[in-house]
Amino acid sequence: MKWSGTPALRLTAPLSRDKQDTLLLVASTVLVLLPHASHLPLWVSLVCGATLAWRAALTLLGRRMPKNLVLMPIAALAMFGVLHTYHTLLGRDAGVAMLVLLVAFKMLEMHARRDLFVVIFLCFFLVLTNFFYSQGIFTAVLMLASLALLLTTQLSFQLTGAIPPLRARLWMGTRMLALSMPLALFAFVLFPRIEGPLWGMPDDAHGAHSGLSDTMSPGQMSNLAQSEEVAFRVKFDGAAPPQPQLYWRGPVLGNYDGHTWTRVHELGRRRPQPLSISVNGVPLRYRVTMEPSNARWLFALEIPQSLPSLPGHLVSVSGELEIQSDTPVAERIRYDMASYTNFSLQAADRLENRAQWLLLPYGSNPRALAAGQALRREPDPARRVGAVLRQFATGGFVYTLQPPLLGDDSVDEFLYDTRAGFCEHYAGAFVFLMRAAGVPARVVTGYQGGELNPVDGYLIVRQSDAHAWAEVWLPGRGWVRVDPTSMAAPDRLRRSAAQVLPPQSPFGIPGLGRLLQPSPDSLLAKLRFAIGAANNGWNQWVLNYTPERQRGLVERLERSLLHWQSVALVAAAVLLLLAGRKFARRRRTDPIDALYSALCQRLGQLGLPRAPDEGPTAYAGRVANANLPPETSSAAGEFLRRYSAHRYGRGQSGSPPALLPTLKDLLSRVR
Amino acid sequence: MADATSEAVAARGRARWFDRRRSVWRSKTTRHDAGEVVLGQRRVYILPTGAGIGFAALLLCLLIGSINYSLGLGFGLTFIAAACAVVDMVATWRNLAHLRLRPGRAPAVFAGEDAPFELQVLNRTALARYAVWLDFDNKLEPRHAVDVAPGSSASVMLVAPTRTRGWMRAPRVRLLTRFPLGLFRAWSYWLPDSRALVYPFPEQDAPPLPMHGRPSPDGVGSAGSDDFAGVRSYQPGDPLRHLAWRQIARLDPGYGGQLVTKQFEGGAIDELLLDFDALPPRLDLELRLSRMTRWVLEAEQRALPYGFRLGRLHYDPALGSAHQDACLRALALYGIAEDA
Repeated sequence: MKWSGTPALRLTAPLSRDKQDTLLLVASTVLVLLPHASHLPLWVSLVCGATLAWRAALTLLGRRMPKNLVLMPIAALAMFGVLHTYHTLLGRDAGVAMLVLLVAFKMLEMHARRDLFVVIFLCFFLVLTNFFYSQGIFTAVLMLASLALLLTTQLSFQLTGAIPPLRARLWMGTRMLALSMPLALFAFVLFPRIEGPLWGMPDDAHGAHSGLSDTMSPGQMSNLAQSEEVAFRVKFDGAAPPQPQLYWRGPVLGNYDGHTWTRVHELGRRRPQPLSISVNGVPLRYRVTMEPSNARWLFALEIPQSLPSLPGHLVSVSGELEIQSDTPVAERIRYDMASYTNFSLQAADRLENRAQWLLLPYGSNPRALAAGQALRREPDPARRVGAVLRQFATGGFVYTLQPPLLGDDSVDEFLYDTRAGFCEHYAGAFVFLMRAAGVPARVVTGYQGGELNPVDGYLIVRQSDAHAWAEVWLPGRGWVRVDPTSMAAPDRLRRSAAQVLPPQSPFGIPGLGRLLQPSPDSLLAKLRFAIGAANNGWNQWVLNYTPERQRGLVERLERSLLHWQSVALVAAAVLLLLAGRKFARRRRTDPIDALYSALCQRLGQLGLPRAPDEGPTAYAGRVANANLPPETSSAAGEFLRRYSAHRYGRGQSGSPPALLPTLKDLLSRVR
Repeated sequence: MADATSEAVAARGRARWFDRRRSVWRSKTTRHDAGEVVLGQRRVYILPTGAGIGFAALLLCLLIGSINYSLGLGFGLTFIAAACAVVDMVATWRNLAHLRLRPGRAPAVFAGEDAPFELQVLNRTALARYAVWLDFDNKLEPRHAVDVAPGSSASVMLVAPTRTRGWMRAPRVRLLTRFPLGLFRAWSYWLPDSRALVYPFPEQDAPPLPMHGRPSPDGVGSAGSDDFAGVRSYQPGDPLRHLAWRQIARLDPGYGGQLVTKQFEGGAIDELLLDFDALPPRLDLELRLSRMTRWVLEAEQRALPYGFRLGRLHYDPALGSAHQDACLRALALYGIAEDA
């Protein structure tokens, strides 16, 4: 009984100032550390939570902080834990974990005001390290909240006597943050940006690879197609071309081992191939903003006019018109491209390395091989192509994300048994048949289409737009793009795969997917577009505000600001502001009082300052006796008499209009 | 000729203008801050604190981290933090600027004691001021903090040690603030137009009061304190020391249980005269003043009316705080100009 009452009493009693401040510091540390919990090992989060809870309990119960002798082994143990988990103490992730633990332990070892600053500054740095893992809009909002709380804590520790309530202090902190925003924005836009990195980064600086790989086997594309992640965004100069023309070319696969399509070995094209391209029309100009894929592929519409220039990357193009960088794309990159959609590639009568595009694995898929060889009776290769496409269109083929599993002879099974597949099945089977029929063919992977966001005009290409199609070489016409998937699912080229495919059934309830999938005109869809546009704007202007973009913006600003109209506008605004200020200040003080203080000031310069407790009448008496020129003395005396009569006289509220000029005149005579 | 004349006139005009400007400037810089003082823009100085320099280092770290890892949001954080420091600088400055200062009371003290100066900090702006530290400039770190709400004032009692008698001017006051974030220190100086009167130090172990007997002119003994002459009922004005406690304690109903006062016959002594010139001139001046001070205090304590003579000054015998203050003031300012 005796024990149950006391802690409750302690907790409900008003806390002393020190305790309040310490709890505020604990709260802001928790807010800073919380987002780190998503990537830290569980034990680090638990240790930090326990340490902060310990600190809060010590504060609430008014106990002393633990001795260093107790803390040291715990800190050493935690360090050993980090070493054990990450196998290093130097990497990025290990460093962040160490920093997080350091802040938590430092809370238990605070003795001087300096320690407070150390904790707060470390918290600032931890806010930054969180950006290694996430830089979304939500993270930014969280950052602002953390900053507001940190500022509140910092100013709470500066207070001495009067302590405003917590809400008032939070308002102070938030207000400081809000006031800093314009300046921060100015610095953000105009502070000269330097392209990083300044030194080699640790190996774990980048995450895992995502997006298209440079192999293709059944089931791989359909996995990718379920990801709504953005692969890249495109902004066209002018209107975007129609969807069926948007083939974003990626890796070209020419080797088949019976199961997986891979790229042709580097060995096979050691010698640079002569590449003849002829183009027609004007190129489409556009700008691609690619999300980090940690792969080397860069995507462009067929066929690019020139190679994109990317600082920090060496960009090259292969004989199959694949564009790749020498280093994996680990950050969001932006490049300008121009592409001809009307072109012919290697449109000669003969194809170098023709045999390479006819290779087939020995003994696999006998039925398809036989069917292909049967097509050789047709002398015109173009007709062979047409025949196979007709087969896809009329053979009862189904386009689905969940094709049945295939065995060893996957092409045979797909063509003759299951007849259901995703784009990689169609492209793979088509190329197989073409090669069997003696037509050079290859698989091209990449993305097809994209979603135009009406809010900001960006075309969003998602991982679900990943696609595989084929190219066949026809004498005199060169490499020609053939999309066998479009035969089975004609809608695929006009709409994204997600819209063409039958909706999935979430939780096994048929029909629910249709409900969840918004129609393009619904409010939900509009909201989605708006969020997408906000995200894209965020990426373009905040996360990927590169030196080039800054240069462009500054040039545009210069052009518009140096125009005489804008200069005049700014000047007028400044003048208006100054005038308004002056006016407001004058309005605030009574004009007669202003004249009175002017008189006092002038007399003070003449050696007769008014004592703070002196009224106008007493002052006038002193002025009259002082050794001043008679003209000055009489004017000042008259002024003071009138002022006194106005201020303290009976029945005179408000200033008579004549008084002001009279006083002004008298004042001008006091010299 | 005409040229030379006009040039001379112009030169004289220039010289006069220059003189005027110089006198204005001089009065601005060396002026004792008479009456109420406003801490104007030019009087408030500001520099970063140690923590502020640490914050600059932190900003550099944030910037380097942002550049190295190409963190767009990191740049945002860096610039927001830097802008917060700038906002803090302005806020710290504004926390001190436009405050009004006014000297308050400065009661007299004896030499060797600490002289208290009351200083008032007024806030006529709409901005609440927090954690404004102030102290005399000779202190390493100010020890008094005030908070001034808008439209209100706060007063602080600062003490300065005294050594010598006479007027003591308030030393220079330093006002300092680090609010809100502690990254900057804004400070200002103020020479308050306030002075405290310092009485001479009362001599320790002074000789007893100079009780020179002198018959009263009319031969009638007036009430003194030498010889016990009996008791009478208490009359307002009787010194407490003269209450006959033993009699009061008995509560004799014969006396009505009232307060009674001892009555003394001081027939031999008419008055106590504290005469400076009567002190041996070989003594040090300050020691003589010191002794006079002790005697004034002692006479006051014993409720003996005393006359006072210092140089040309002569006070008739009297008792009470006004008389004591006049005597002590005369002692404090002996040989010192009144306006010093």
